[in-house]
Amino acid sequence: MKYPVIFIAILLITAFFAGCTQQQATAAPGVIKIGVIASLTGPASNVGTNMWQSAQVAADKVNADGGVTLKDGSKAQLKLIVGDDESTQQGGQKAATKLITDDKVDILVGGYSSAVTSAYEQTIAEYKIPYIVTGASSPIITHRTDIDTSYIFHHCPTTDTYGQYTTMFIDQVVRPAVNKKLGASADRPFRLALLYQDTAFGKGIQTAVNDTIVKNNLKIILISQQSFRMGESDFRTQLTAIKATNPDAVYLGAFPNEGAPIITQARRDIGLNTIFLNAENNDNAQFYKDVGQYGEGAIIESRFSPYTAPAGAVADSQNMFKQSYFTRFGAYPDMMGASTYEGVFIAAKAIANAGTTDKATVRQALVDLKMPQIIEVMKDQTISFSPDFRESTFDLWMEQLSYNATLGETRPVIVWPDNLKTTDFTLPSWYMAGSSS
Amino acid sequence: MDNMGVFLQIIFWGLYAGCIYILLATGLNLIFGVMKTVNFAHGEFLMLGAYITATIFFLTGINPYLIILLSMLALIGIGAVVERFCFRPILGTGKLNEIFLSIGLIYIFQNGAAMIWTDEWQSVKSPYDGITIPVGSLFVPLDYILIMVFTAAILCGLYLFLNRTTIGMQMRATSQNRKGAMLVGINVERIDIISFGMGCSLAAAAGTLWIVSGQIFNPYMGSIPAIKAFAIIILGGLGSIPGAIIGGLLMGLAENGAAFLLGGIWKDAISFVILIIVLVVRPTGLFGEKGE
Repeated sequence: MKYPVIFIAILLITAFFAGCTQQQATAAPGVIKIGVIASLTGPASNVGTNMWQSAQVAADKVNADGGVTLKDGSKAQLKLIVGDDESTQQGGQKAATKLITDDKVDILVGGYSSAVTSAYEQTIAEYKIPYIVTGASSPIITHRTDIDTSYIFHHCPTTDTYGQYTTMFIDQVVRPAVNKKLGASADRPFRLALLYQDTAFGKGIQTAVNDTIVKNNLKIILISQQSFRMGESDFRTQLTAIKATNPDAVYLGAFPNEGAPIITQARRDIGLNTIFLNAENNDNAQFYKDVGQYGEGAIIESRFSPYTAPAGAVADSQNMFKQSYFTRFGAYPDMMGASTYEGVFIAAKAIANAGTTDKATVRQALVDLKMPQIIEVMKDQTISFSPDFRESTFDLWMEQLSYNATLGETRPVIVWPDNLKTTDFTLPSWYMAGSSS
Repeated sequence: MDNMGVFLQIIFWGLYAGCIYILLATGLNLIFGVMKTVNFAHGEFLMLGAYITATIFFLTGINPYLIILLSMLALIGIGAVVERFCFRPILGTGKLNEIFLSIGLIYIFQNGAAMIWTDEWQSVKSPYDGITIPVGSLFVPLDYILIMVFTAAILCGLYLFLNRTTIGMQMRATSQNRKGAMLVGINVERIDIISFGMGCSLAAAAGTLWIVSGQIFNPYMGSIPAIKAFAIIILGGLGSIPGAIIGGLLMGLAENGAAFLLGGIWKDAISFVILIIVLVVRPTGLFGEKGE
């Protein structure tokens, strides 16, 4: 007698919760559900939290301005739902599946770490849901051919792009400065070392640097190419090997939680007093704090910084975003936050242009999208996606860090290119070039 | 730097890494030796030790090398509570229970730490940051010398404790023959709780020395070192303290040698390559005895 009662009770409870899920799954009228995939926990939580908070600032702005106008003339408000990828491939898979199947979001924004994001692209392809990737920078995100990536749009520069930018900066700015310091001839080859994360992201940078040197016949030789496991914290052995090759500079393909200790260990423990060039994901408030005095003279390739803005049109809009973010969260947004902020605006604009949340129509609206740049400097001041791989194109810049003893942190200034820079690149007084030959 | 200088520098980094591994693995082996308990959450005690040291340091500014004692004491208490309320009830009920219990503890400690301290990466600046001592062609940061000195001092203290005190001898007796120890009147439950607490305190020392070396840390920092600590105690021989010391040093040297010669991605893999070779050639580990 007891067991049938328990069985019926379980059935009733299950039915009750099933009803709750069904109710949640039905979109309320006038609401557009945007799923934001971000690393709220795990090693990338600092960047992921910034992405999620930036998305909230964007949604607030869109909603405060009246929301999104649909085809029938009705106004819809944005509702964000976050999925924590836990900085792991399995976590990413869970988050994407939950957002699509349980929360029934209309469009997805976010995604950090190419390794994590690429792990759940199959799910995106299966459900054919538009996804604006704003953090994973490997070109494989939209270039891979093993699955259908036609619903995925890439709104952040790829490692191909910023690897090329950074290599050209080395050739045009750092190499002449080092030759001048050494009193060497202008054709002295620059001795560059690479230290990169052994993932699609790090290998993407390695490939981009190698390709750029060969394609442009640059006077740069790669004297050492060392790799490390994602999440590593002890880099002393690789740095010792790099120092033994006498580099003029070291380019790091690393996340902020790796880049700051690499530079610290290199300068403090190894005595490798050289220029460290960092990828754009290091333009992050925590990085400026963690790297401290050892970050003096280092370079970050960037398109948005919490602590500086380029000369020109976007300075005001960047400062407004930073102010809104600071007012709400008491901190400054980082680069991945900036592209996620824009990702929400792009999603809203695409749905407005489509006039509906129908996935295929929104996808076509993203293909056809042409909207003015928002807070980041875009090619032709326009956000649009390339017809081949659905990638937007940014104008990037290079920042050089200087140490602020009062704050106990470093701060950036833009030193390249000429149309965006606020000052010139300088070699620090302690800088040691590789060798004069 | 010439080739010999590079070689010596790599050896030095290997010795430093070995010190952290030795403390972690010795603690794990102490617990396994006495209780025969498998605790996969041992890395979380390293993490807690690191956070306790960092928190006291951030609040007071006291030299972190002095805080190591407070951190070790705190972990003795935490370890005792975990032993009493988690491991003791399932002692002898099967290894599967111990494995699942410790996996559960990993999540509890990691998420608890993330709630208290957030899961942002953090770092501690040693008061000796930037001080290096030139030894021949080597750059030897003072912090690393201190880490080696502290490791040696802690191991000497442990040796004296195990060999010169009544409780230490009771721990060795329990480790050698638990039933025999009970028959001669040793309170093995009391010995269990002391062993577990001491094992955790050694993990706390490892965590403290980890962060004063300038490495960043977050609540998930203990997972990989814990796996390596298990590899080390299997390599050195289950329950063997000298085995843990030699195994830890070998692991540190092998990892750094592999990172230099084969590339950074081999750093973790080489530990397990050595482990497999040792298990094939000598299944009891380097210092293990049959039956352990």
